[in-house]
Amino acid sequence: MSQSATGFQVIRKGFFSLVQDAGRFGYEHLGVTNGGPMDAMAASWANRLLDNSSDASLIEVTAGGLELEVRTQTMIAVTGGDLNLTVNGEPQAPWRSFWVSTGDRLRFGTPRLGFRAYLGVQGGFQVPEVLGSMATVKRDKLGGVCGRGEALQDGDFLASGILPEEGIARQIPERFMPDYSGPLTLHIIPGYQQHAFSKSTWQQLMQQPFELDTRSDRMGARLSGSPLQSPTLGMYSEPLSYAAVQVPADGQPIIMLNDRQTLGGYPKLGNILPLDCFALAQRQPGTKIRFAPIGLMTAQQQMRRYLRFFGL
Amino acid sequence: MSFKRPDATFELAGVNAILVRFGNQLNSALPAYLSALRDHLLTRHPSIISQVVPAYTTILVEYDPRQCRMYDLQLLLERELQMVAFENTTQYGKLVELPVVYGGEHGPDLTAVADACGLSEQAVIELHSGQDYQVYAQGFAPGFSYLAELPQQLRLPRLSTPRQKVAAGSVAIAEQQTAVYPYDSPGGWHILGYTPVTWFDPQASPMTPVEVGDRVRFKAVTVQQLDAWVKEQAR
Repeated sequence: MSQSATGFQVIRKGFFSLVQDAGRFGYEHLGVTNGGPMDAMAASWANRLLDNSSDASLIEVTAGGLELEVRTQTMIAVTGGDLNLTVNGEPQAPWRSFWVSTGDRLRFGTPRLGFRAYLGVQGGFQVPEVLGSMATVKRDKLGGVCGRGEALQDGDFLASGILPEEGIARQIPERFMPDYSGPLTLHIIPGYQQHAFSKSTWQQLMQQPFELDTRSDRMGARLSGSPLQSPTLGMYSEPLSYAAVQVPADGQPIIMLNDRQTLGGYPKLGNILPLDCFALAQRQPGTKIRFAPIGLMTAQQQMRRYLRFFGL
Repeated sequence: MSFKRPDATFELAGVNAILVRFGNQLNSALPAYLSALRDHLLTRHPSIISQVVPAYTTILVEYDPRQCRMYDLQLLLERELQMVAFENTTQYGKLVELPVVYGGEHGPDLTAVADACGLSEQAVIELHSGQDYQVYAQGFAPGFSYLAELPQQLRLPRLSTPRQKVAAGSVAIAEQQTAVYPYDSPGGWHILGYTPVTWFDPQASPMTPVEVGDRVRFKAVTVQQLDAWVKEQAR
């Protein structure tokens, strides 16, 4: 590292922190998955607070514990879950941007509300692009600080620019702040092998509660509940689109997320509305989950509104 | 020669994707067709269609719902499916030869497979390496290729108890398929041999030795020949 390098020094890596950007697209046919922020909406807010482009890279801090020392002066923004962030020991509420300068210590504690925080910086973090993206995907060994898919490690240096003067600190209006507490309803657009599941299985899906399982990760959210009857189809693997809901033989649904395998061989009920998956990313294991149906038109309308709002 | 493509059916796959299904049976003409269809769609409709992923008997079409409604996309796809020739050929794409050391420590299941199939070990090797395989799908890990179809005589169900660890490069068979493990992982396929193929290298061009529709042929070699091949590749 040169003397003039500016950015953030990783003092403690915490539980699991990743460099992410909008994701890696265009290589799914080779088996390369997308990556990208699990809560894309919170990530979009962080970049908006900083007037960054929507694909600027940021850090996804899962469950907290990350500690950084500032080696520059710049504006940062923190959105998403409230992981009890302190700056030099002073508690900082999320959903706003603020000024930091050399020597400041950022420290994420444990989750107070939500599960994943997004730390954005003016202009984004500068790490190498691999296949057009900085998104860290461990299973593909792509992206991140060294480009090989590793999570942040103690001693890593996250390069970022320097701002000559303090910008205007901003805060997101309260009405836009999502509520991460309480149970969550996932809206499902029936699709794929929807007709192979019986009517009574569909009724069961809509009526019974599930719980978010501890084995959930960036590949998929695993739910547990009274098992669903999964049809035996003897099918070949087929491409998995984002938020597809697979039901393996054990009857416990899995929602395929950002780091999903590009192919899957289990019967699928359809796909969850992406906005609901963003909210799901902020839920801790044990959260009560319910399903509700949604039509394609309504789902697309909601997504259009979201994309237009953030200029995506 | 007239040759009929399986009828296409359309399934919703979320807010921005449609899955097109061409029946539920392996069809040796599909890999080439799906690969050509992918190129065709991405070239013809770059503003609507953002990605196309083929696998076995299906192809996933991702689109921008702001540019096109699902119903209109389906009509468009029905037209475009006719524009790509469906031919009775397995001679599509390129052919890549992979050297394999069969049996011994590199192929711990060769003897058991030979016994189960009622063949000699040499006959198993000759059958496995005696034909081209098509790449039907890529996934699981980047560039990892599912190869088919295995000769009838070699088709066996998966191991009843999967191994905890299968070494990277293991050449394995199960049911109609054969494949090379991309990295050390648990696995339930029968291991016949070893080849040090690199399925994916983001720095290389192309990044993967084959794509869907291309072909792979295994060639039985000695350990010495394999070492020589590895040195050749490194140059």
